[in-house]
Amino acid sequence: MSAHLITVDKVNKFFGTHHVLRDVSTYFNAGQVSAILGASGSGKSTLLRMLNRLERHDSGRIVVDGIEVDDELKHLDALRRELGMVFQQFNLFPHLTVLDNVSLAPRRVRKTLRADANERSMELLKRVGMEEHAHKYPFALSGGQQQRVAIARALAMNPKVMLFDEPTSALDPEMVKEVLDVIKKLAQSGMTMIIVTHEMGFAREVADRILFLDQGQVAQDAPPEVFFDAQESVRVRAFLGQVSH
Amino acid sequence: MKITLPGWPQRWSREQRSSATIALASVVLVLLLWLMAIPLALAPEPIGNNAQYFAEGTRITVELTVVAGLSGIVIGVLAALGRTSGITLLRWVASLYIWVMRGTPLLVQILFVFLALPTLVPALRLDDFASACVALAFNVGAYNAEAIRSGLLAVPKGQIEAARSLGLSSFYTFIDVTFPQAFKVALPPLVNNTVALLKDSSLAYAIGVVELTNVGNRIQAATFQPLPTLITTALVYLVLTTVMTQISGAVERRYDVEGRQP
Repeated sequence: MSAHLITVDKVNKFFGTHHVLRDVSTYFNAGQVSAILGASGSGKSTLLRMLNRLERHDSGRIVVDGIEVDDELKHLDALRRELGMVFQQFNLFPHLTVLDNVSLAPRRVRKTLRADANERSMELLKRVGMEEHAHKYPFALSGGQQQRVAIARALAMNPKVMLFDEPTSALDPEMVKEVLDVIKKLAQSGMTMIIVTHEMGFAREVADRILFLDQGQVAQDAPPEVFFDAQESVRVRAFLGQVSH
Repeated sequence: MKITLPGWPQRWSREQRSSATIALASVVLVLLLWLMAIPLALAPEPIGNNAQYFAEGTRITVELTVVAGLSGIVIGVLAALGRTSGITLLRWVASLYIWVMRGTPLLVQILFVFLALPTLVPALRLDDFASACVALAFNVGAYNAEAIRSGLLAVPKGQIEAARSLGLSSFYTFIDVTFPQAFKVALPPLVNNTVALLKDSSLAYAIGVVELTNVGNRIQAATFQPLPTLITTALVYLVLTTVMTQISGAVERRYDVEGRQP
């Protein structure tokens, strides 16, 4: 079990009386790109957000690279260094320039000197094609551009794993591609990624593995070829048919 | 009222304009405090012969406002943090403080600090100026707390999640992410409170602090000329609040990265 980078063991989560996740057990390996699919309310975002303790699990265990996910401050600090997160709503800091958004965490957490942090941040911005916008404020950018900056910002802390929580759901259709291209490039570089998404075509193309959540449980765990092309479950086929239109 | 200056050079950035305004207004304020006796001395009696007296009163008023205003912001931040804290005791203490300070007259608070506090705690025997500062600071702090709290609540939860997920400690999350955004929202009501403070500092008159209103009142009582003295007093207040709103307006523009202000 310890061979896995992330282990989730019999995890339960309630929101009030609503049982969001039911005895979920799964794992994620280094270098693997996993896509988590499922209908709204199936618990996929909650599962992702529990990995870096933005949500707490009510029972069960989560271990990330040997770090127990709990409320202990030392664990939390170590955990959040390991995991980078990209949000549906980008969540860029509106009062900071693009460059400061990316360089803030290295300067504060790793105590990197401003000049070094800025240099590295510019490299990351170049990687997501945003270096020309480094001195702009987030409000002046399109959604797709903001999300690319958010990806650079998460990468700035050199995480081992990148978590994507519906990274394209808040974007206009014409901007989805530029963000997906950046994520695709990242996947090709060997980054371990867990992506919650509604983009079926993207999941199929980029993921090594599809997790399908249904009513708080992992209903399927399959390679994309099997999941999309040899799907036996009527329910999942209906889901796929529904969302591909 | 907003005074429109002739305009800064076109190529100056928003920050440069803002810094220039702050610097200029601060210089004006210092010059005013330093040299205001000179133009006042040119006025006819009873102003001209009391120009130095007016200038001293104005200095005391500004000192009261600056000391109480800055402490009031610190107190306000602490009380707002207490009000939004997860710890019940802190929430309770902060709420009690705000409830008492907002629910009782400032004049009573000033008298209390000066007269009643020493009988309670002999070590807290303060002179009139210090008593006024303490009472004003805690009073404005309570109003500031609510302004800052509304700012803190206006910062979306996603901002804090993003900061925490980047590994920022709760301290840096507050310093770098929450507070700057909250402060921007809280700034207009904070300015309101500080302008009110400048004027409320006149209540220090009740415990014998020789500030501007006290000076004006003494002169009108001695000369039997209330009209010119009180008009002069009021005008000095007006000039002070004008300079103050120029500075705060510049601070607001500095934070306005989206260019939402015309």
